[in-house]
Amino acid sequence: MNAIASVRDALTRNMRQSGILIAFVAIVVLFAALHPSFLSPTNLTNLILQYSYILILAIGMVMIIIAGQIDLSVGSVVALTGAVSAVVVVREGMPWWAGVLAALVVGLLVGIWQGFWVAYVGIPGFIVTLAGMLLFRGLTFLVLDNRSLSPFGGTYYEVANGFLNGLLGGYGFDVFTLVIFGIAVVGYGVSQWRSRQGKVAYQQSVESLPLFALKILVVAAVVMWFGYQLASSRGLPVVLIILAVLIIAYTLVTQKSVFGRHIYAVGGNRHAAELSGVAVRKINFWIFVNMGFLASIAGVVFSSRMNSAQPGAGNMFELDAIAACFIGGASTTGGVGRVGGAMIGGLIMAVMSNGMQLMGVPQSMQQVIKGLVLLLAVAFDIWNKKRASVAR
Amino acid sequence: MTPPTDGTRRRSPLLALREVSKNFGAVEALVGIDLEVYSHEVVALVGDNGAGKSTLAKVVAGVLTPDAGQVEIEGRPVTIHSPSAANALGVASVFQDLAVCENLDVTANVFLGQEIRGRAGMLRDGQMEVDTRRLLEHLTVRIPSVRTPLRSLSAGQRQAVAIARTLIGEPRIVVLDEPTAALSVAQTAEVLTHIERLREMGLGVILISHNLNDVRAVSDRIEVMRHGRNNGSFPASASHESILAAITGAA
Repeated sequence: MNAIASVRDALTRNMRQSGILIAFVAIVVLFAALHPSFLSPTNLTNLILQYSYILILAIGMVMIIIAGQIDLSVGSVVALTGAVSAVVVVREGMPWWAGVLAALVVGLLVGIWQGFWVAYVGIPGFIVTLAGMLLFRGLTFLVLDNRSLSPFGGTYYEVANGFLNGLLGGYGFDVFTLVIFGIAVVGYGVSQWRSRQGKVAYQQSVESLPLFALKILVVAAVVMWFGYQLASSRGLPVVLIILAVLIIAYTLVTQKSVFGRHIYAVGGNRHAAELSGVAVRKINFWIFVNMGFLASIAGVVFSSRMNSAQPGAGNMFELDAIAACFIGGASTTGGVGRVGGAMIGGLIMAVMSNGMQLMGVPQSMQQVIKGLVLLLAVAFDIWNKKRASVAR
Repeated sequence: MTPPTDGTRRRSPLLALREVSKNFGAVEALVGIDLEVYSHEVVALVGDNGAGKSTLAKVVAGVLTPDAGQVEIEGRPVTIHSPSAANALGVASVFQDLAVCENLDVTANVFLGQEIRGRAGMLRDGQMEVDTRRLLEHLTVRIPSVRTPLRSLSAGQRQAVAIARTLIGEPRIVVLDEPTAALSVAQTAEVLTHIERLREMGLGVILISHNLNDVRAVSDRIEVMRHGRNNGSFPASASHESILAAITGAA
């Protein structure tokens, strides 16, 4: 394959992914131009704290959507896990980790419940999780006795509101945060280099060295700038660490593991996957268990952020998570999507909400605009697919 | 059915079906079917719609279990209760229209369900790509890149990938259900070449097809099915009319 063909190959293959990245950059630039404090350290920190739980949900959601299912219950599961945690910590006065543990157990049980009905009874995920949405919301009201429970306080509160700051000192900025970001950038560079070397060893095509170096440099510059902004505000948010670990782990699971490969196969052609010896039921079961697990983490983060558990918590979260996946390039018919894409989709939603809030756009108008963005993103996806099939 | 008496008959068959029957409720899909497949042999299975060809293929592939009769592989009686059990016994299949995942690339499709695993259930993509390329070269399949998603390949190339994927796990018997049904003339010719390559590799091939011309071009023996029963066995040199008569029941 010659150079031009390889560039064209990379571009067309990543059209959907790079298109969404360009859209994201454009939206950020737009708000930065419209409002001076949009890129301020405080606002960037806020952005992460405010939307972290949606991003955590979107990780699990995109895996479910890739497999050709949907989960409408995650908002209710966020509420239920937060409520159980509140009962343990606030009402019973047990330590913070007991609350976290209880939430995780409840999340896993919810996942097992829904996975069982989808995988082994064969009810579509849409129906099972629609029922789950009502069921777990009802249970939340029961657990909380129709009242909100607060405050968590202490370490539990720090999960979503805490910062790592001043561990290594610094003048006006936190050195520790910069060190962590530096390690992340070096790690990224090394892993990219090793994967490139691996491809060379197997005689696969790779991008040219200057292009490769440029890509690494741009990513490093953006990440370090972002790190510096955080460092000059309140330091490294704890929740950002949680999020980063989850994103890295789940990117590996979906792109590099047999389990991940099989999720794509089930969503692409369930019958072919079954005939090829893929355990379709097991895959369907475990993606829902996994979603329950991630929803419980989101539940902990959200209740910690609110410093309380409320019966109505997490309402409509499922729709934000689903929108993030579709904006991020997941296909409505299954088989297509990426964790990274869903994260960018989620960030687009986050940046738009945050930017419009800063500019004082009324809530009603914000909803209209977000609705249109979702519609246009999926329309672009469909147009792109048609174009690709004509090109063939 | 009495097999023709040429030299190959003295070896034991790779695959033998004895008196195999399968019912769907009151419908008799297969009635006392006998079939033998030897190595280095392409056996064509022909018959009208609903003659039971695909049911037979599914029995051999482990998708369906027969109600009566026996399946033997290299003389040993076996029960094939799942596609992966069939793979383990050395039987690989390509099903009509259902063979591939269009969202996955060539390598992922070739190795689907039989991925090479590294540490902790991780995929060894590099190794699989090298193997895939070697496999495709072996079958003389031309595909731009093993990382092309299947949706951007032609129907013929997809079928070639589906055939290539049967060779993972080194099978002895390959079942192809209507591999040329949706293909153009040129693509059909290519797929038929791949089938000949399978025979040269020493495999036993069961080829199911509607198209008598394709069948006569590559197969060594033609078995006719009608209403779920054996209805005659012909050498590839048999006349078009005699085979057609057996298919339609005019004889």
